[in-house]
Amino acid sequence: MAEQNRTALKEVVSVTYITKDNAKFEKSSDFIKMTATLPNEEGVAEEKTWDRIFLHRAFPFDFPFAYISVLDADTKELGMISSVDDFDEETASLLRAELERKYYTPVIKKILSVKDKFGYSYWKVETEEGEIEFTMRDTFSNLLKVSGTRIFASDIDGNRYEIPDIEALDHKSFKKIELFL
Amino acid sequence: MTEKKWYFDASNPSALPDDLVPVLEDKGIPLDHVRLCVKSDLSLNMTRSDTYLLLCGDDDLISISGAVSLFRRPGTTIFTRKNRLERRFETDEYDVFSLSALSDFKVEEQIASCRFTAKTESGDYILLANLSNSYKSDFYTFSRFLGEFKKDGKITPDEHASHGRDSMFCPKCGTRYIDEERKLCPKCMDKSHIIARCGEFVLKYKKEIVLLILMLILTSALGVLAPYISSEFYYDEVLDKSGEFYGQILLVLLIIIGTRLLNVFFNVIHSLVTTTIAANVIYDLKKVIFSSIEKLSLSFFTNRQTGGLMTQVTRDANTIYWFFCDGVPFYLVNIVQIVAILVILLVKNAFLTLLTVVTVPLFFFGMRYLFRKMDKFHIKRWTRSRQMNAVLSDILTGMRVVKAFSKEKDETVRFDKSSRALASAEIDTSTFATVAFPFMDLCIYISNLIMLGAGGWMVIRGTMTYGTLLVFIAYMNMILSPLGSFVNMIYEFTDSLNAMSRLVEIMDAKPDVQEAENPEHFPDGVCRGQVEFKNVDFSYEKNRKVIDGVSFLVEPGEALGIVGHTGAGKSTLANLLIRLYDTENGSILIDGIDVRKLAYDDLRQNVAIVSQETYLFMGSILDNIRYARPDATEEEVIEAAKIAGAHDFIIQLPDAYATVIGFGHKDLSGGERQRVSIARAILRNPKILILDEATAAMDTETERKIQTALERLSEGRTTITIAHRLSTLRDADKLIVIENGKIPEAGTHAELIAQKGIYYNLYRLQIEAMKNIGIEE
Repeated sequence: MAEQNRTALKEVVSVTYITKDNAKFEKSSDFIKMTATLPNEEGVAEEKTWDRIFLHRAFPFDFPFAYISVLDADTKELGMISSVDDFDEETASLLRAELERKYYTPVIKKILSVKDKFGYSYWKVETEEGEIEFTMRDTFSNLLKVSGTRIFASDIDGNRYEIPDIEALDHKSFKKIELFL
Repeated sequence: MTEKKWYFDASNPSALPDDLVPVLEDKGIPLDHVRLCVKSDLSLNMTRSDTYLLLCGDDDLISISGAVSLFRRPGTTIFTRKNRLERRFETDEYDVFSLSALSDFKVEEQIASCRFTAKTESGDYILLANLSNSYKSDFYTFSRFLGEFKKDGKITPDEHASHGRDSMFCPKCGTRYIDEERKLCPKCMDKSHIIARCGEFVLKYKKEIVLLILMLILTSALGVLAPYISSEFYYDEVLDKSGEFYGQILLVLLIIIGTRLLNVFFNVIHSLVTTTIAANVIYDLKKVIFSSIEKLSLSFFTNRQTGGLMTQVTRDANTIYWFFCDGVPFYLVNIVQIVAILVILLVKNAFLTLLTVVTVPLFFFGMRYLFRKMDKFHIKRWTRSRQMNAVLSDILTGMRVVKAFSKEKDETVRFDKSSRALASAEIDTSTFATVAFPFMDLCIYISNLIMLGAGGWMVIRGTMTYGTLLVFIAYMNMILSPLGSFVNMIYEFTDSLNAMSRLVEIMDAKPDVQEAENPEHFPDGVCRGQVEFKNVDFSYEKNRKVIDGVSFLVEPGEALGIVGHTGAGKSTLANLLIRLYDTENGSILIDGIDVRKLAYDDLRQNVAIVSQETYLFMGSILDNIRYARPDATEEEVIEAAKIAGAHDFIIQLPDAYATVIGFGHKDLSGGERQRVSIARAILRNPKILILDEATAAMDTETERKIQTALERLSEGRTTITIAHRLSTLRDADKLIVIENGKIPEAGTHAELIAQKGIYYNLYRLQIEAMKNIGIEE
């Protein structure tokens, strides 16, 4: 049944996959350049070079390095990468670095203090990159629980912070965040 | 040590942080060559560091990355009090770019950070800076300044700009302001000012308050007197042979009854006074809050959740009342009472008093600890109950979908999970309360034991009478029992203070859109209906323009059509014209008068809007149509309904125009609601009528009918119609196409078709869609 559905869907739309066979990625100064043979609007394969491409995760929390959408400068999708690991080591690490840079999110190791005032909360945390202070509006709705224990916090400016596993936090830190969960 | 943070300031963009001065001197750059200086918190390698981007001289764009370190000054020891430490900025990276070789400066927003990029002459991209979202708006301004400088060779600071990120933090303690505009720091807030502002509401009832406090004092005086009469006086003076009133039991009974009666009398008066002021004060508060809220511009309501706001208002009014009429008097009287009792006891027997009071601090701190702990349990319970309610309402609202995918079981599991979480939090809370508080009662018991032991010994030795011991025990309990609530006082007062600051915030909030001080009127009170937009800019969020330099002119009596994709800014144009928001730059003129200068009455009287979201108030259809002009006659109402195509369906309803919406489960459909709204606007008989997707929920036939009717009516009336469906606009004299806040195309239908641009494409698509279903136009 599912198989039937998929073939039916394929006739209507098809996703272009970007693989090691049809595309090459290169570093160009601080960005990524792509040369690929992809179907153009008429559906005919054509080799082209994009001076700068953008990467976007389709499932950012579950698959940070798989199901990656490749976009051009006008945010039009050129194709999808099934998994970064399908490429050679050099390309994979280039793509990985670019993704990690784009999804920059400090990881909270320890919560030093949380003060709740007037519906705003003032946080002081320790991350891998040192101590960070931030402010959250409507704390309850701005703590995103991705799984049972993985949490993202979004502060008043739109910065994000991750706690990969709240249960792995020390007891004091856990107690501080537990109030909001 | 609180260090002064440095932030970009759009009104003085060349300001430099002190940290950078030695770096620039080191590089031989004169300080006055700096034209722009902006800070970010991420280096080019995405590590957290202080990074600055400077425009120096005419062509140098300098990026400096590093960190501030503290060093001990030479010649000082750890005992030196002042200036022992020296700040020094250690440069890690230093890059110079050439401005003339760069163009297309862009702040590229990523997930939770941004990159600041540009294009080189060869068309390659170049990375100039990384930044977290906190510095986003600074970089947008910086980028604009760079563009200006490249174009005109000069930079015009934003005079009205708030002082960069500086304006977002409290200068005293560095805490982020809750509201940038209001500059209210939760830490440094002037509490006395807030209390005074709110106190005004209560102090209006001066006489009653005085009476109230008097009653409280009398009641507590009686409270102090009662144990004395029933124990010490009774045992030592009446029952004891050596007593002055030996044997006069009846007298004592009469006195006891008398004090009881007095007590009841005072209490009744107290309650009577309380109920009257309570109702009045709460009423006053709600009235003030509501009228303040109503005055605020629409942006206030879109920023906050309105529903939550109103429940907050009601709760706050109660809390504030409690603070002034219950809280403060209760604590004042109790404190006076406790002090009075302590004095009496000390005079009677200082040694025993001190002995029994020893346990009080223990009790006090114990209670404080428990309440704090309890507070955490409460927050947890509250969060979980909120979570459960959210899940519940989510499932119930989406029941149609749940049933369609037969997901009932899964949803039960989801609900069960949050319900269980709440239950466990509730168990934790009550377990804690039931276990902890009895232990605290033990503390009181200990002081009783000390008293019984030491006091008994004193009675036997004859240094104290039996009556005095009984008074001691009674008084001691009078001191200890209110202590529990004293501990909680701090929290209750904080709560009240929060409520009060919210109240003051709402009372002081200034509407963004305000009527001009000396508003202009239309000459002779007659509006001709000419509308002109002149280079209008507008953004809901800073630096992100929704409307970008829009200009157009509609002559009186003309029909203008506005076309564009969803989110292109069509409705924003309408909102600007009726002044739900004000323009940032440029101006909007009606008959040559800037709408910002026009009197509210003149504006609202002559411009009416029917928008996508129709709202009908509680009441009958008649009331709803008449809302626009309460003095309209029945004939006028029917006429307006007829034009709006509403009359035909209204007359079918059992109660016709008197139909109360929602009564007897009668609700109107989307299209019907729209027609009532249009009738409302027509009744207003405005010179300028704006239809913002006003007919979107109707079938094409009904839409057609209403349009024909409107057309007949629109002689001498300016109509602005916003629509997706191009057929809605086919009678417009002029069309403008909105895309990304700009007007790339304008003209008549024929002209736009000939241009073969955006409009042509939209038109072609819609025609094709028609052809597909077999209709040719």
